[in-house]
Amino acid sequence: MTSQDIPNKEILVDMYKKSVLAKINDENARRVIMNGSLPMIYYSPRGQEIIPAAVSVNLSDEDTICTIYRGMHDMVCKGVPLSELWGEYAGKATGTCKGKGGPMHITHPSSGCMLTTGIVGSSLPIANGLALSYQIRKENKVCVAYFGDAASNIGAFHEALNMASIWKLPVVFVCQNNRYGEHTKFEKATAVTKISDRAAAYDMPGIHVDGNDPVAMYQAAKTAIDRARNGDGPTLIEAMTFRFFGHVFGDQDGYMDKGEKAQAMAEDPVPKFRAWLIEQDYSSEQELAEYEAAVDKEVKSAIANALAAPWPDMDELNIDVLAAAQ
Amino acid sequence: MTTKILMPKIGFSMSEGKLAEWLVADGAQVKEGDLLFALESDKSVQDVPAPGSGTLKIIAPADGVYDVGAILGELV
Amino acid sequence: MESTNRQITTVEALNSAMADAMAFDDNIIVLGEDVADPEEGGVAGVTHGLSTKFGDHRVRSTPISEQAIVGAGIGSAMAGMRPIVEIMMMNFATVAMDMIVNHAAKLRFMSGGQTQVPLTIRMATGAGLSTAGQHADYLEAWFAHTSGLKIVTYSSPAEAYGLLQSCIFDNDPCIFIENFLAYAQKGDAPEKNLRIPLGKANIVRPGKDLTVVCYGPQVGVALAVAEKFSGEGIEIEVVDLRTISPWDKETVLASVKKTGRLIINHEAVRAFGVGAEIAAVVQEELWGQLISPVRRVGAPSCPVPYSRPLELAFMSSEQDLEREVRKTLE
Repeated sequence: MTSQDIPNKEILVDMYKKSVLAKINDENARRVIMNGSLPMIYYSPRGQEIIPAAVSVNLSDEDTICTIYRGMHDMVCKGVPLSELWGEYAGKATGTCKGKGGPMHITHPSSGCMLTTGIVGSSLPIANGLALSYQIRKENKVCVAYFGDAASNIGAFHEALNMASIWKLPVVFVCQNNRYGEHTKFEKATAVTKISDRAAAYDMPGIHVDGNDPVAMYQAAKTAIDRARNGDGPTLIEAMTFRFFGHVFGDQDGYMDKGEKAQAMAEDPVPKFRAWLIEQDYSSEQELAEYEAAVDKEVKSAIANALAAPWPDMDELNIDVLAAAQ
Repeated sequence: MTTKILMPKIGFSMSEGKLAEWLVADGAQVKEGDLLFALESDKSVQDVPAPGSGTLKIIAPADGVYDVGAILGELV
Repeated sequence: MESTNRQITTVEALNSAMADAMAFDDNIIVLGEDVADPEEGGVAGVTHGLSTKFGDHRVRSTPISEQAIVGAGIGSAMAGMRPIVEIMMMNFATVAMDMIVNHAAKLRFMSGGQTQVPLTIRMATGAGLSTAGQHADYLEAWFAHTSGLKIVTYSSPAEAYGLLQSCIFDNDPCIFIENFLAYAQKGDAPEKNLRIPLGKANIVRPGKDLTVVCYGPQVGVALAVAEKFSGEGIEIEVVDLRTISPWDKETVLASVKKTGRLIINHEAVRAFGVGAEIAAVVQEELWGQLISPVRRVGAPSCPVPYSRPLELAFMSSEQDLEREVRKTLE
């Protein structure tokens, strides 16, 4: 069930740029953790970047996303600004959330990143709520809920899909199946072979797609987003992918099959996409290298600013617990 | 410009780490990203890359356990 | 202006609080199991007529999916609506604890103030109807222990109206606790659209000898006991918290400073209940000024029993409060 639309050169290059923006942010995250300059608990999305890149090119600034702790790629592809993102990672006053939420709770409404949650599955019921408001107010907006394969086994997933379906909410459920839920293989934890088959249980279309294939992922995302925007209701996309750095960064991946990770890394979708764009003459080595260098510079600058930024005031313990007194 | 080499915190519960061995000799030239020392945990050993470039000055001897954030050496 | 002698039931008060609010602001929606008119307007009829009046896009009967119901409330509130979600019975809130405690309560803080959740979660509970262990618990202490939530309950129909309206228009997530037995209670009709401020207690009956802090139907219990003691020349001051959290420390402390004696009276289990927090604060602030130790009336530490005499013994009664008053006065 995919659209016949083939993304044009501009869209493809934009998608690559988003995916490499995520990749470069991730590389720097791992670098600063390893060198001790910014210790943090980090859930690396390296390997999964094509998915939010393809979804994001189909979203406007007014559309929104709800994502999860392994969501840095989702956030930067949607447009969360880097200095505020890194400020938040560093727990500084300059962070998106004044340092009070941290990496698992990045929120940036003006770019549409309404929620990042540390609870598996909780992005879905809340995405429904945002979509419900668009429906009632007749706004031409869509909400995307990002989550992982393991989330499709939690109660909130089932409740949310059922409700979204009966009410035909303008929501898109994007499951990033990276084959592992924490340390447990997807096959061991999940009663179905394909999560997209669960869509039928909720009377909505289910799309099973190679999440690392830019064109296929673009088409899946466009189909689902257009459907939601047209008032035809939700779609469940299961985008197959792989995560290169375990559950939490620092994991030794002892629970993975030997060679599985190496094989996935050999098929790294981001450099593969890059090579393909150049081969197709959609872009050039120079254009892309310049962009990547500029991004790396921007990321390093954002990190340096974050490290130099002030800590939040102690007063912040008492601020934003409840609404400020009128 | 001197770059400090710190014991990193990797993963949830790490509060200290074992510097199993230095992969580069004291006084050697190092480029950013070169593998600098082996960090041992209960489960395995990870090679940690250099945070900058320069001449390695070892401060913390190998085969020692150090707190997260401890200065292990410098790149001068 | 309405005659204040007109009598209405609690159900009518709650219903008109919502209807009047929804007529005033079309951002207000109602979600919950059986809340719409085809499903008879709620298990106790509290939402009767709302879907007919405001449309089934604004008043929706939901599947039995508390996580999804509360999640839909949270998301739509974040988008700027003022949803009222109904959890049929307070015990069922446990199914949605992640949404309430990990999300609604915390998103303002964790987002650094960028998002807020102006959500009202109505929940009904209370023993006395033989519904037993899983349909009658007062769980306000659990929610009070989580920062970021407001917890409110009423002691009369007019209070129900004014407090529910305040919750609806409040910008924080409010847990509004209703009581099954008190739904049929009659009282003076409220003034239309008159909201009762949150966070302020009400001295329902002044007195100089002993303070009873209470909320919900226990206010009526305290008033009855106060009447009785008045006959013995002892004047009990009855303080209705109205908002259980954040509670009005100022009013309570001023009252206990005056009387020197405090009993907290709630239907919820005594151990680790709201009374424990109030007692701790009062003894900390007024140590040298207390005439007797602070006492608490609450239910025993067991699930709400089914058998009628056990259930009656479980419930905080006038006799229980009277006994504690006498101990306090010794």
